[in-house]
Amino acid sequence: MKLIEALEILRRPVADAAPRFDLFLACGFTPLHLQTFLAAELRRLREQPVTVKTGLFGDLAGNLERLDAQSLQSLAVIIEWSDLDPRLGARTLGGWLPAELAGIMSAASSAAARLQRALIEVSARVPVVVCMPTLPLPPMFPTRADQGGLFETGLRELSASLAHSLAAQSAVRVANAQFLDSISAPGQRYDVKSDVTAGFPYTLHHASALAELFADLIQPRPPKKGLITDLDDTLWAGIVGDDGVDGISWHLDRHTQMHGLYQQLVASLAGAGVLVGVASKNDPAIVARAFEREDLLLSKSQIFPFEVHWQRKSESVQRILATWNIAPDAVVFVDDSPMEVAEVRAAFPEMECLVFPKNDYAGVWDLLKHLRDAFGKSLLTEEDTMRLRSIRDGAAWREAGSAGEGSADDFLKSAEAAVTFDAGKSAEDVRAFELVNKTNQFNLNGKRFSDAEWKNFLSDPAAFLLTASYKDKFGPLGKIAVVLGRVQGRTAKVASWVMSCRAFSRRIEYQCLKHLFDTWEVDEIEFEYEATERNGPLQEFLAEFVKAPLQPGMRLTKEQFDERVPQLFHHVERVAYV
Amino acid sequence: MSEQESRLIRCFASVFPGLTPEEIKETRAGSSGSWDSLAGVTLTAVVEEEFGVEIDPAVMPELDSFEAFRNYLERQAQLKGGGDR
Repeated sequence: MKLIEALEILRRPVADAAPRFDLFLACGFTPLHLQTFLAAELRRLREQPVTVKTGLFGDLAGNLERLDAQSLQSLAVIIEWSDLDPRLGARTLGGWLPAELAGIMSAASSAAARLQRALIEVSARVPVVVCMPTLPLPPMFPTRADQGGLFETGLRELSASLAHSLAAQSAVRVANAQFLDSISAPGQRYDVKSDVTAGFPYTLHHASALAELFADLIQPRPPKKGLITDLDDTLWAGIVGDDGVDGISWHLDRHTQMHGLYQQLVASLAGAGVLVGVASKNDPAIVARAFEREDLLLSKSQIFPFEVHWQRKSESVQRILATWNIAPDAVVFVDDSPMEVAEVRAAFPEMECLVFPKNDYAGVWDLLKHLRDAFGKSLLTEEDTMRLRSIRDGAAWREAGSAGEGSADDFLKSAEAAVTFDAGKSAEDVRAFELVNKTNQFNLNGKRFSDAEWKNFLSDPAAFLLTASYKDKFGPLGKIAVVLGRVQGRTAKVASWVMSCRAFSRRIEYQCLKHLFDTWEVDEIEFEYEATERNGPLQEFLAEFVKAPLQPGMRLTKEQFDERVPQLFHHVERVAYV
Repeated sequence: MSEQESRLIRCFASVFPGLTPEEIKETRAGSSGSWDSLAGVTLTAVVEEEFGVEIDPAVMPELDSFEAFRNYLERQAQLKGGGDR
């Protein structure tokens, strides 16, 4: 983005009702154009008024220690070498004598420890994104430019160690230096004239790249959830029906290593909770034999479902989506055939459909990087690792339920289901936060929360956060429902209520309401209900209880609930109740 | 209006969004409350990026009006043309 474009974006009008987004940009230099670029990038992403506050020049640690995080939605921190010791910058003439280098190193170490303490402390109050030094070190070391000497490597180790300790904090996101290198060449970042004359050390291009990176970290796009892959000339090289099970390959000696790398990445994604399905025009018996090969890097157990037949790919994709119960825009489809890709894209325009660039080493490498980015998550939760198993078990559950073994009640009774309610109200509950921010179908109003909004809501003494975890004889689903609200007198006011689609048909939603009525002894529940394009399942559920059309602020009394609630068979446990 | 002048007006408009093109042509540092040192640094950076020039910090105090910027850019264009011959 050019500076003039950033200024023009900031001039655009925004809706009066749009809430303001307040960010603090903490740096030791004059923020100048970085402040402008960052405000413009956030404005472009959020279409709401953005305020970027800044602190005092030359006092990064003090700015963090003095920070009033109360009204902030986010904190962006950029550490440059001169924040570790001013002699590592161009604006201080403190001496570069070789005898002084050990002292500079020692001072930098103390400054890094102070920054670490301040950042960890402030991250408990506001989400933080942080970028480690991006500028070159000055020509102060006795070694030649092409040699990494003792002090220079020591400073880089210090920076890496600080980044490592911050990356371990759940509320801190550290900017990826390798990614920054790809969008801002290290040799093109420093503007010494601007640094010396204005106290702003960046070229405009670097400031723009940093702002873009910060904005993406502050407002990350939701990760994709599912990958549907072809087999022949995609997961492996060759046509298994023609070449035979032993004729397909993914190895160096057959010059098909890139398919092995693709398998390796898909297996890694599956291990991180990404759903992986196969859509292949093939003979199922031959494919089954291919998946018996022990040298495959992606095991059969990591894939569900397999759609292997001779029907259209779009039909396979439709069935896979139904099994996963997720929307097309959360899925990536990969196939080596441009024609198949076009056919699926025409059927599902919202789905990202990619051609596997066989025989193109760089193209496959770029695809792997793209897939990693598309499915990347800030943190992995326990539920991520059990997602595939629960969907597979869910299919068995549905089959068993429709197999005529008895009435729905009998089946639910035999499921040996247990619901565990947790009222711990922990703002650090990553899974609860994630569920509220990504669930679409069983969602009271579609409301999403920023990190700061979430923490602010829970800091209200009247607020409650109730989560429900579920397991039955088919296996655990993990934490699958979240109710967020406030108790006022004998009324529970529910501001947000979501339940994973994996938990449908188990009457967990009834159990959630029963729990609110019985355990918290309220007479009625008021819902901050809003219809959305995708919350049909929630609407159907609420409509069971009220005869009038659903309205924002609708109420459900205990009598209305008791009148219509079906029989519930869950064993209920409670944790973290005062 | 020349293409260079309209580009320069766009630069000024991005930094001083409250001014009309006519007002921009008449504006001077000090005559408008919004032309402070920060606006001056921003305007210089915008003009440098837009016109691909590097303005010497020693010259910056002289660039105190739309007309001064326009004359500066014309001189730079002439110098560049002379250097090419």
